[in-house]
Amino acid sequence: MDKYNEDKYNKNKKKCSFRMLCYELRNINGNFMTHFFGIVFPNIMCLLVSTVIGKQVPDAVRSEVTVSVVICMALIMPMSIMFLGYGSLYSQEVEREIPQRMRLFGFSEKSLITAKIIIHLLFLTGAMLLYAVVQSLLLDIPKPALSSLLILLMSLYLIGVLFMVIVHSMANIFRRFSVTFGVSMSIYFLLMMLTGMMGISTDKLPMVWQRIARTLPMTYISNDFAEFWQGGSYNFMPYIQSCIFMTALTGILAMYAQYRGRRVRK
Amino acid sequence: MLLTIKQLQVKYGSRMALQIEEPLSFDKGERIGVIGSNGAGKSTLVKALLGLVDYQGSIITQIRPEQMAVHMQTNAYVNTMPVKRIMETILNTSIRENRELQELIGFFEFQDCLSKRFHALSGGQKQKLTIIMVMMQKAELTFYDEVTSGLDFESRQKLTEKLAEWYRDKEDSLIIVSHYYEELEQLADKILLLDQGRVVAYGKVRELFRKYCGDAVYVLENTPENRRLAADFRELQSPDHLIALSCQDREEERRMLSLFVEHNMNFKRSSSDIEIMSINAKACFYGEDGARTA
Repeated sequence: MDKYNEDKYNKNKKKCSFRMLCYELRNINGNFMTHFFGIVFPNIMCLLVSTVIGKQVPDAVRSEVTVSVVICMALIMPMSIMFLGYGSLYSQEVEREIPQRMRLFGFSEKSLITAKIIIHLLFLTGAMLLYAVVQSLLLDIPKPALSSLLILLMSLYLIGVLFMVIVHSMANIFRRFSVTFGVSMSIYFLLMMLTGMMGISTDKLPMVWQRIARTLPMTYISNDFAEFWQGGSYNFMPYIQSCIFMTALTGILAMYAQYRGRRVRK
Repeated sequence: MLLTIKQLQVKYGSRMALQIEEPLSFDKGERIGVIGSNGAGKSTLVKALLGLVDYQGSIITQIRPEQMAVHMQTNAYVNTMPVKRIMETILNTSIRENRELQELIGFFEFQDCLSKRFHALSGGQKQKLTIIMVMMQKAELTFYDEVTSGLDFESRQKLTEKLAEWYRDKEDSLIIVSHYYEELEQLADKILLLDQGRVVAYGKVRELFRKYCGDAVYVLENTPENRRLAADFRELQSPDHLIALSCQDREEERRMLSLFVEHNMNFKRSSSDIEIMSINAKACFYGEDGARTA
């Protein structure tokens, strides 16, 4: 490509614009799955579980148990919004070849994904704010240490992004909504069971399942993060290792999906 | 030169979907109609040019696939918002502020569809949506792949007329893939005829017609009486219900015409009938026994 054409190409290349972000926001708002599983479900689950369990424990440990449930149920938001919600939305688009249609209109893969990530992270932030307001109004939650709160927030965002990349890759590999949604829904509930979000503590699972659960960062967030909610020491090494492991798996899956869906002529 | 194809091969598994051996060149401003039956390799050619399928050989061009505008056979968009929003996002403009876009929307009578969602549009309206956005791209090379497929006869004709009218005095380079010969007669000035992934013929409509059909072609209804009367003239390959007669010069044409008038025969004359030309080009390509001649 000569200089003139290169300049013209760069000028015409469509980047992630404000319009693109508005488009993605409208797109996410048209998806019932994201609203229900990302906003309604965690709030109801948290209120329900904390009320039921709260009645079964002594007063002295009630607030600690409540914190544990609140942290545990907070994990539903990144998993629902970034994994189930985004997965259902994007896999339908892939099945109907909408991303390819957008690329043919000059949008790069990067700009399309950037807009989706930004809007989904904004939506996740909104859902977390709403969750924080609702739960702090309705439940007796002790004030957290700033460092603990920041670690939890960073963890939720990290898990959200990783899940988004996982389901994005899955959709690009399977290319069918039914398969992607079926697989992601199965993984979603399996992970909820493994990491203690379904009310069964991880240490009560069979040993094989416990070993698998320990490779997932959600297990540590759900079971251990309540311990340092108001400060204190915690050995982060197993948690960091699980994050690295999950990131590596996600990276491999993303590279495989990228390889399969590569555009031949650059 | 806009684009040159050399030794292009596309395989789907073990099946050869497209095999272009002789170099093909497309010049700037040309309108190339790509025709062929199902499985001829028409859409595969478009996908190869856009870099959407793996291929062997070379496609030499200064323009990147991303700089080409394309109307695919199926074009889907999200159903979560009105098409107006989709259009504004894809074109990165506001309909209210873009007079050129307003003009195109008006030209295709699409104003009333802007507030609808994509799934609520009819087949023709869906095609118009993509056509408007493709035209607004002002690309160096624009593809229309089966732009009227799935439309009824009237909608097909109207859309083709609209496209022909829009591009009449413009210098855009177009590659139009179609099953419908009458569409290409209105839109294309060059024809690329494909069959089973091979190039059967490529060239200007008039030149190909002259090569395979002669100066002009007279088409009659295939009746025993017409067949008997036309026996003295050179008959071309044609659909079963028709007789196509070739005229090599004006003298022969005069003799033919006087015969038709004398016997009060109905006929149709053409010097650019793409359908008859294609049938005869294929017959020539495959030889009498239907096998490919060297």
